[in-house]
Amino acid sequence: MKEQINYTDAFQELQTIVSEIEEGEISVDELSEKVKRASHLIKICKTKLSSTEEDVNKILKDLEGGVDES
Amino acid sequence: MPETLNGKQVFSLQEVALSIKETLANKFTYSFWIKAELNKLNFYRHSGHCYPELVEKSGGKVIAQMRSNLWRDDYARINQSFLNTLNEPLKDGIKILFLAKIEFHPEYGLALHILDIDPGFTLGDLEKEKREAIKKLQSEGIYNKNRLLTLPMLPQRIAIISVETSKGYADFMEVLDHAKRSWGYAFFQMLFPSLLQGDKAVPSILKQLNRIKKVIRHFDAVAIIRGGGGDIGLSCYNNYELAKTIALFPIPVITGIGHATNETVSEMVAFENAITPTRLAEFIIQKFHNFSVPVKQAEEKLISISKRMISDERTKLRAEVKLFRSITENVLLKNKNALKDHVRALYQQSNFIFKSEKENISVSRSQLLKSATAVCRVEQQQLTQLVRSIKKEGNTRLKNSTLTLAQQIKQIRLNVKTTLARWHTEMTALEKNLENISPAKVLKRGYSITRVNGKAITHGHQALPGNILHTTLYEGEVSSTVNSKQNTP
Repeated sequence: MKEQINYTDAFQELQTIVSEIEEGEISVDELSEKVKRASHLIKICKTKLSSTEEDVNKILKDLEGGVDES
Repeated sequence: MPETLNGKQVFSLQEVALSIKETLANKFTYSFWIKAELNKLNFYRHSGHCYPELVEKSGGKVIAQMRSNLWRDDYARINQSFLNTLNEPLKDGIKILFLAKIEFHPEYGLALHILDIDPGFTLGDLEKEKREAIKKLQSEGIYNKNRLLTLPMLPQRIAIISVETSKGYADFMEVLDHAKRSWGYAFFQMLFPSLLQGDKAVPSILKQLNRIKKVIRHFDAVAIIRGGGGDIGLSCYNNYELAKTIALFPIPVITGIGHATNETVSEMVAFENAITPTRLAEFIIQKFHNFSVPVKQAEEKLISISKRMISDERTKLRAEVKLFRSITENVLLKNKNALKDHVRALYQQSNFIFKSEKENISVSRSQLLKSATAVCRVEQQQLTQLVRSIKKEGNTRLKNSTLTLAQQIKQIRLNVKTTLARWHTEMTALEKNLENISPAKVLKRGYSITRVNGKAITHGHQALPGNILHTTLYEGEVSSTVNSKQNTP
């Protein structure tokens, strides 16, 4: 799977795009690109809200294996 | 005195009371230190006195209880010393070490008369530990460490330190489940079971924090959750080691310990402290709302604004096209007509200008020629006249000058001759005068010069008897000696 943009960055970028459009800084020419980008970012945010990738079994394995993080 | 009634010795109540009082007074002649729990202070604002209710408990049961008196002035002094030491007044529910005398009053019965209370003792096992832990954490600069971490925008993955069967844990999970059902929020939580109150809670919680540290990359925050067990045994959360571990924990630690007493040190240093586990779960859900709502709004705004922008643009474009067409047509027509007019006017005007200029030039040429010739002739005549008049003027001036010069020379010559003749006459007269006054001429007339010691004398007192006088005559000299002399006035 391709490494996706971090959801925090996605959220920030989305806010930026919305405020740009609200402030009228975006022309109709750019609108299509921006909307395409924004909908991609919204998808990332919504996916993050409704799913996690953590797996208890994996953590238990890490605990037993004594993975040293520090 | 006792009286005899129906063959029995009978005492009055006061006699008994006075007897007890006397016995106690003889037995307890000094004051001593006692420790107890101050169950109720019983302060009377009007009189300023307190009648504290003292108890001793064991396993939650009261095993001793006694009334006491704390008089106004003693209370004021002791209360002030508590305020100074603990930042707290004397109040219900604290352990105290106090100095007291046992007193018995026939009317009011037995009571301890409190003389002093040691605030250090009360500070002792609870507050002292707590305050020192806080101070130490602050001085080591770690008090705010956890609070200054950044919680991810979506704290989805939570390591929970709690007890599976506790009410607090159930409350916490209920809020998360509700959020999952209502808004589709996804969480990942994992329970790290631990004791949560009493002395054994400290090593138990520390052990689980250590385990979490090993798998820390799987979690966004640690939640310590407790609730439903009453308020006893929570002083473990004032433990320095536990608070330090929480403060230094690499990810935010959030607490929902659920009690009504003062905030503990562990809660103070935690990233977030909620009064109850439910509130703590709500704190997390709020973070999700803070993320979800703007995303939803962004989506709606994007759609509505895009639609509006496109329709606005379309309308604008149509209007612009219409306007543009009519304006251009108008302008073209106007310009075409204006151009025609200009061409015609230009042609006529240039023809006219040409013709008139040509005439002007030929007139100018002949005028120029004529006036140039005239000017030349006039100039020539003036020049000739000027030469002639210069010549004439020159001759006249020369002649006049020569004449004047000759006359002047003659006049000078005459003046010189006259002056010379006058000077000659004057000189001759002077010569004659000079000759008459010369010494030779005077001597010749019979005058002589008399000298003493080479110096000419003119007065009798210049010569003394015996002096030799040398007399010079016109021809020759005579020497003579002074015999006597008469003084003339």
